[in-house]
Amino acid sequence: MLVRKPVWIVASGLVALALLVGACTPGAAAVPTQAPQPTSAPSNTQAPQPTTPPAAPEFSGSATITFVQEPDTLNYGMYSTMWFSQIAQQFWSKGLWSFDENSEPVLEIAAEIPSVENGGLSEDGQTITLRLNPAVTWSDGTPLTSEDFVFTYEMVMSDANVVLSRSPYEEHVASVEAPDPQTVVVHMTDSYAAWLTTLFTTVLPKHVLQPVFESAGTLDGAEWHRAPTVGVGPFVFSEWEPQSHLIFTANPNWIRPPKLEQIVIRFTPDDAAQEAAILAGDTDIGVFLDASQVERLEADGTIDVVGTPGGFDEAWFLNVNAETAHPAMLDVNVRRALALATDRFSIVEDLLDPEINPVNVTFWDNTPGYETRTLEPLPYDPDEAARLLDEAGWVDTNGNGTRDKDDVELVLRYITNQRELRMNMQAVVQQQLAAVGIGTELVNYSSDVFWNGYNDEGPQAKGEYDIAQYSSAPLGPPDPEASANWECDQIASADNPDGANWQGYCNADLETLLDEQAVTADPQARRALYEQIQQIMFDEMIYVGIWKDPDLWSIHESIQNVRLSGPTPFWNAHEWTVTP
Amino acid sequence: MVTYVVRRFLLAIPQLLIISIVLFGLMQAIGDPISTLGARTPPRPEEKARLRRMLGLDQPIHIQYLVWLAGNDWLLLDMDGDGVGETPGPRRGILRGDLGNSLVTRQPVVTMIAERLPNTLLLMGTTEIVIIVFSLAIGVYSALRQYSAGDAVITAASFIGYSMPVFWLALMMMYLFAVNFKRWGLPYLPTVGMYDPAVGAEPVEIARHMIMPVATLSIISVAGYSRYVRSSMLEVLHQDYIRTARAKGVREWWVIFHHALKNAALPFVTLIGLDIPFLLAGAVVTERIFAWPGMGRMFIDHVDRSDYPVLMGILMFIALAVVVFQLLTDLTYSVLDPRIRLN
Repeated sequence: MLVRKPVWIVASGLVALALLVGACTPGAAAVPTQAPQPTSAPSNTQAPQPTTPPAAPEFSGSATITFVQEPDTLNYGMYSTMWFSQIAQQFWSKGLWSFDENSEPVLEIAAEIPSVENGGLSEDGQTITLRLNPAVTWSDGTPLTSEDFVFTYEMVMSDANVVLSRSPYEEHVASVEAPDPQTVVVHMTDSYAAWLTTLFTTVLPKHVLQPVFESAGTLDGAEWHRAPTVGVGPFVFSEWEPQSHLIFTANPNWIRPPKLEQIVIRFTPDDAAQEAAILAGDTDIGVFLDASQVERLEADGTIDVVGTPGGFDEAWFLNVNAETAHPAMLDVNVRRALALATDRFSIVEDLLDPEINPVNVTFWDNTPGYETRTLEPLPYDPDEAARLLDEAGWVDTNGNGTRDKDDVELVLRYITNQRELRMNMQAVVQQQLAAVGIGTELVNYSSDVFWNGYNDEGPQAKGEYDIAQYSSAPLGPPDPEASANWECDQIASADNPDGANWQGYCNADLETLLDEQAVTADPQARRALYEQIQQIMFDEMIYVGIWKDPDLWSIHESIQNVRLSGPTPFWNAHEWTVTP
Repeated sequence: MVTYVVRRFLLAIPQLLIISIVLFGLMQAIGDPISTLGARTPPRPEEKARLRRMLGLDQPIHIQYLVWLAGNDWLLLDMDGDGVGETPGPRRGILRGDLGNSLVTRQPVVTMIAERLPNTLLLMGTTEIVIIVFSLAIGVYSALRQYSAGDAVITAASFIGYSMPVFWLALMMMYLFAVNFKRWGLPYLPTVGMYDPAVGAEPVEIARHMIMPVATLSIISVAGYSRYVRSSMLEVLHQDYIRTARAKGVREWWVIFHHALKNAALPFVTLIGLDIPFLLAGAVVTERIFAWPGMGRMFIDHVDRSDYPVLMGILMFIALAVVVFQLLTDLTYSVLDPRIRLN
């Protein structure tokens, strides 16, 4: 039954057809030619005026981008906190403003950046008045008004919607008002310096989603999250083929009409396959590359790899909580000895690319404007490390090769997740620390367990470590705010299980500075405060930088005018052009 | 026959119930879905607590299982966090056809499976046809020319094919036929995806994109399966009834394909019968490398996110398919070998 002649013939025919088609077809359809256009940077002080309507646009060409992860939804902020959803948002859903390659704000929906001088920011910093650009409309032509902002706030805070994050509205916003269609007034509960990077990074179209909310009682299942046919940006959603691609087409109603006809985002989950697609010229921009790929990609001669500061730096977060840490960790000289005894420079040289991932010093070295200008990483100096340990009283009294004090062996618990790069580094560090008489217990957790909170037995939250290694960033780069990590009342414990301070560090001077920067709206004054904050953390050695962790992108020579930024990478997508 | 089929289906109900309990228990070990929702930036502890409460993940496991099974529209959920339930749940449970919604995409699991299943069936169905055809052809050829030079070459090639890791083979093919062929100016194949969005989902375009994944999956399976066919054929070709058929003057091709292969195919049918349910599950590694939008890739993507409603949906779908296709395999036995009686 299985081998009757017709089956053979049909099957053979199918195979032959497939092979024939593959052998004879030269490849994908050619992309229409488009000459490179001169780049013109948008002003960051003035919004495009409604009196100068855009000329009739002539869109041409298509850019292809590869993502190694598919966004879970396109409603970033409410129903997704994925980075890939966030960066895709730049094409179809602009916020009040974006940030350019220098991390300077570029006006989008807003007509101006609120300040005390222009009346947008109250003296006490607790009232922010947003003035909207009247030229901005939704992609379907409906005017975008302050009512959309009020609706967005209400939907984020509604108990009917299971939103992923209510930050910063839950903690810092008291109410949002719409006194007129072009004005939004945000009443804050406190003076909140990070408003520039966290308030209204996305806005919902009330005219589309309010009927959905009223009929379903929730936005949780709204089709719009995966098919937002109405948006506000240079492109508008066109198609989402799950696990295959996303397509955005040019939005002629946007205030800066794009030059490209469409953006295609292809999902290529395997890193090696993405690299092959980049090398084959199947993609114009490759996203989220690994440092190990840079040399191979640039060797091709047609591809440029660039890094952008996304705020992330790899580091050791040292536990100094007297109730949970090894007693040696409470001595700053021991903590300093850990940094001196570890050759972070050769580790970066061997495992990464020191030009892309140099050793960092502070938590903010990849946050533009807040990187240290005065501090240098401690050198690799095992002799000095040994001297500091001797001075601290940690010596090998029992001759077992590990230092001890008061019958306590100097064996530290060094934890991280299961990323191979980090596990390799753990093995190297174990040998280097052993050379100065420090023992280590290496522990690796799956990422979900590693990040669990106190009540879920998270090893960091419960202080079950001495050295924790991971890559971390401020809450909303380029804003440097990350104070909760080091505030005294945030130390996690049974009485305070939601506390964000997992290092157990409490320093009144540092806390005063952290509180002050949180309400300092003047960037220069805030930077000065951060220099003091960084100095204290460096002197106290609670944070040991390992490497800068920029986001890496490949840019093929076929695409022009790409000026990626850290906070909003695709901010100037309207200027991109392609050549075949 | 009808009684047999009905009895088998009735037996399947407790089987599937036990499987669902075991799988649901195992899901607790794959990680905390709330912790991975934030991806690069983990949710704040208070956000995690709120999400657990709103999604019902703070309930004891037996209540969560009951909700998965029978829904939660008969329960009041505490959405506002005041400690008192006030909102009826939205779920109807798998017993009423609701596999739940993905925790990450918020889509109904049924919709997600329905979107990916045709793609997987296309890839895996084509692959299975290629495997069957080539395995039978190579196996029969090797058996008829036992110990010949051709048989030796095929045997060696089979062992090489069987030994190749699928991810290595896939990437090597991609670099050779997509990257290097393009550089050398030769006709080349596309790297990833099911079709180029610029061209559209045209049959020819999809066929081009299928060549490498189908070849990757087939080479390894054909290498193994052709050995089964070869040994079965060798066993049957030495049976008395084959000698009798030849002595009666029956034509050689009829002896081989009608008398010998039909009987030699029984173990092969068992293998294929076991394979078919897993065709629906897709090929995890191959789909991931070639970015094929199928069930296998969806499974691994959602394992990474600990998205247990999607994982439970896929696994229960496969469990059901195993039950159905095992029954179909048993029925096929009785057709191929009249000595087998279902009763």
